[in-house]
Amino acid sequence: MIIQAILLAHFLVPAQIASSQSLSEAVKLLQSATDAENRGNLDQAIVDLRKAVELDPSSAIALLKLGEAYMRKHDYGAAIPPLKRAAELSPDSISVHQLLGYALLSQGYASEAIPHLRIAHESGALGIAQFQADQPADALINLKNALEKSPDDPDLIYYLTRAAAALSSESNERLLTQFPQTARGHQALAQSYYSAKMLSEAEKEYEKAIALRPDLPGLHLELGEIYATTSQWTNAEEQFRHETELQPGNAEAAYRVGDALLHQGKMKEATDELRRSDSLHPDMPETLYALGRALVISDPNEAERFLDRVIAMEKQSLLAGQAYLQLATSHRRQGKNELAAHDMAEYKRIEGIASKPEH
Amino acid sequence: MRICLLSLLLSLSALAQSPRPSPKPQFNLRPLRGIDFVLRNSPTSRKYLIETMPGGVALLDYDNDGLLDIFLVNGGHVADPLLSPANFDRHNPSYWNRLYRQNRDGSFTDVTVQAGLQNAGDTNYGMGVAVGDYDNDGFPDIYVTNFGHNILYHNNGDGTFTDVTAKTGVGAGGWSASAGFFDYDNDGHLDLFVTRYLDWTSEKSKTCGRIAEPMYCPPGEFGSTTSILYHNRGDGTFEDVSAESGISAKPGHGLGVAFADYDGDGFTDIFVANDAVEQFLWHNNGNGTFTEVALDAGAALSSTGKKLSGMGVVFQDYDNDGLPDLIVTQLPHEPYGVFHNDGKGSFSMQELETGFGVLSGNSSGWGVGLEDFDNDGWKDVFIVQGHVFDNVHVYDSSLNYREPPLFALNRKGHFEKADPGSDLPVAGRGAAFGDVNNDGWVDVVTTPLGERPQFFSNRGGQLHWITITLRGRRSNRDGYGARVQANGQVRFATASGSYLSSNDKRLHFGLGTADSCDVDIRWPSGIRQKLRGIKANQFLTIEESER
Repeated sequence: MIIQAILLAHFLVPAQIASSQSLSEAVKLLQSATDAENRGNLDQAIVDLRKAVELDPSSAIALLKLGEAYMRKHDYGAAIPPLKRAAELSPDSISVHQLLGYALLSQGYASEAIPHLRIAHESGALGIAQFQADQPADALINLKNALEKSPDDPDLIYYLTRAAAALSSESNERLLTQFPQTARGHQALAQSYYSAKMLSEAEKEYEKAIALRPDLPGLHLELGEIYATTSQWTNAEEQFRHETELQPGNAEAAYRVGDALLHQGKMKEATDELRRSDSLHPDMPETLYALGRALVISDPNEAERFLDRVIAMEKQSLLAGQAYLQLATSHRRQGKNELAAHDMAEYKRIEGIASKPEH
Repeated sequence: MRICLLSLLLSLSALAQSPRPSPKPQFNLRPLRGIDFVLRNSPTSRKYLIETMPGGVALLDYDNDGLLDIFLVNGGHVADPLLSPANFDRHNPSYWNRLYRQNRDGSFTDVTVQAGLQNAGDTNYGMGVAVGDYDNDGFPDIYVTNFGHNILYHNNGDGTFTDVTAKTGVGAGGWSASAGFFDYDNDGHLDLFVTRYLDWTSEKSKTCGRIAEPMYCPPGEFGSTTSILYHNRGDGTFEDVSAESGISAKPGHGLGVAFADYDGDGFTDIFVANDAVEQFLWHNNGNGTFTEVALDAGAALSSTGKKLSGMGVVFQDYDNDGLPDLIVTQLPHEPYGVFHNDGKGSFSMQELETGFGVLSGNSSGWGVGLEDFDNDGWKDVFIVQGHVFDNVHVYDSSLNYREPPLFALNRKGHFEKADPGSDLPVAGRGAAFGDVNNDGWVDVVTTPLGERPQFFSNRGGQLHWITITLRGRRSNRDGYGARVQANGQVRFATASGSYLSSNDKRLHFGLGTADSCDVDIRWPSGIRQKLRGIKANQFLTIEESER
């Protein structure tokens, strides 16, 4: 997309054409090539430009136009030699560096492309080249800059995501290799194991990290999540409680404690902890939904209040659908069958939207 | 009213001890003497899905000697690759289904050949079993489901069976799973419901997962199929009424089936445990048709709106409110489904309230029973477990192909984990529940893949019990569909439920410290019968009254 945009632009650089008879012949050929290009006959343009370059090998403009013609034909490999020569002849030409940078990048010569793209101030392409050349930190900066100018460019968004992931991985790698015996090192390794679904290995690494730094925020929360993933809810609760002791103001930790209690069927205790989470960070949809679930059997009116708030906030998300399911349960249990039918219709509508395949 | 007390005729060995609070209930994992059956599922490199799904077990008294006998369904030999038409080598004795007769000393004798049950059919890969006296002659008949064609064996009453599939017209076809006898039109003749799993053949088979580590494909990779309802004409033949009853209108991935009258309208309803699609609750309209109402009744999905991977199901009352509830076993990452019957024809998912969030979130359940194993008056739960994929640990190290069973005691509607008597991990599948040794305490027989059946012998205790055999007169002879209440507890008479299996049809009630009970029965015929002050600790046969 970026490359195509650039190729639509015209390049005007000062002519540096050699002397004598070949000069006028080369000029004619350049004009002839321009005419051919205007007619859409790129093949003819290339033939003319190649002759022009033969007649005047020091013509940067002929070399540039030849490279440009190849690029318009998507023959980026063929574009590189004339553009490289043009860059030697006209090292200050932004256009030459711009085209050469793109040509090199498109052919996989990311490292080679970087200096040219830097001269051309092509931050987007430069970021991509840096990402491909294993320079994720630099790539991140340039891609962010490019996205400010073109916020809806999917290529840029894609590469920004990749660069961020690569940078995270690189930092992680550094933690693992340089600081393996630290709490953070074990935590980083645990996260890697968790990503690979190696849960028992992840659990061990978290335990090592906690042994080294029991007061480090986040460790208990993450270990608790592993237990929750494997439905070890009492262990999960214990870890989440440790986290709430370290961070009494952390609403997520309070929510997690409540959720662990909910899964153990301790509805009253779960409700208390979830209410605490809600007071710390009001209107977290997950907390409100969990409150609705915890209360749906024992206190349907209160449950409905929370579930209505979820629906008001989430509208058509899957969580809103789940809230409608809980509402239907509540209404059915109270014999409010019309309301239950409405809830189910809404649930089905949302489910239909959510399960619609992407085209 | 005519009451037949069989307590004097049947085993009285463990009766009439002084009532004391029960010790912690427990089972002993004991060998079944005389049973050398191995459930041969024949796993192959091709990961044919049928290999991981058998097999059923039935507890029945085929010769009416008062002792439970055991029928075991075998899988078959699966060639690698499986050629078409498939041949599962069922004439090879290793792959036979087997009937074992219980002897007076508690051992078993293989009577398969003597009973005429050795021919399972080479094109049939065995799945499940249903038991019912479809012709009301007083002897239980056996229906075997297969991938292939199903077989109905008529019990001749002399220790032999006759294959009457062709005559009765219940051969089905495709991939059948659980089946059950019930009387949907209350005409006194048992009808037959057959779940079918997938539109699968060896030609349609494929593997999933990584090339280097292929695994069985989930059911969504194959087409859905419909269950079958056979109406018993009462003349020894059946009629396929799947279309006119509405049953065939809704395809699914049926694996388990259970019956109960959930809305108290006097007609038996059907619940089908479906794998990875919505569960089905077929409401019996009382006019020969059924309407699938699970979603609107609150029994189709998990409480988070997820589709359960339904395997086995039991349809009995766990909280003693007199209404049949549902427990549906399924694959991990979500608790087993517990649908509480709220009355008025609706259910609420109460898997967390009942404690299943802790008990089952990371396990894979199959056969399931809701029985009062400790005789305290509350039905406990026993579930056999093991993941469907034999290499699941490669893909998720927190999951296991082999697992010990789950046993949980019911504490007034909340279940708490207890010792099942074995932590031996197996690939559990079928499970049948019944009092195998007639001691008043319910035992369990399970069928792990590739192994001998397991016998969880209940070690008993001090509390009281009563076990009731129904004998219908206007109703079907087995009394299936009757609602029986003893000291406030309710059971719905059926041998169906669990996974691919058939339970002891006798109705067991734990009575706690009570030494007598009042029994109330509502027969499928509509007749209501009351018995007062019935002595505890006996096997009681109750014949349907005239009116």
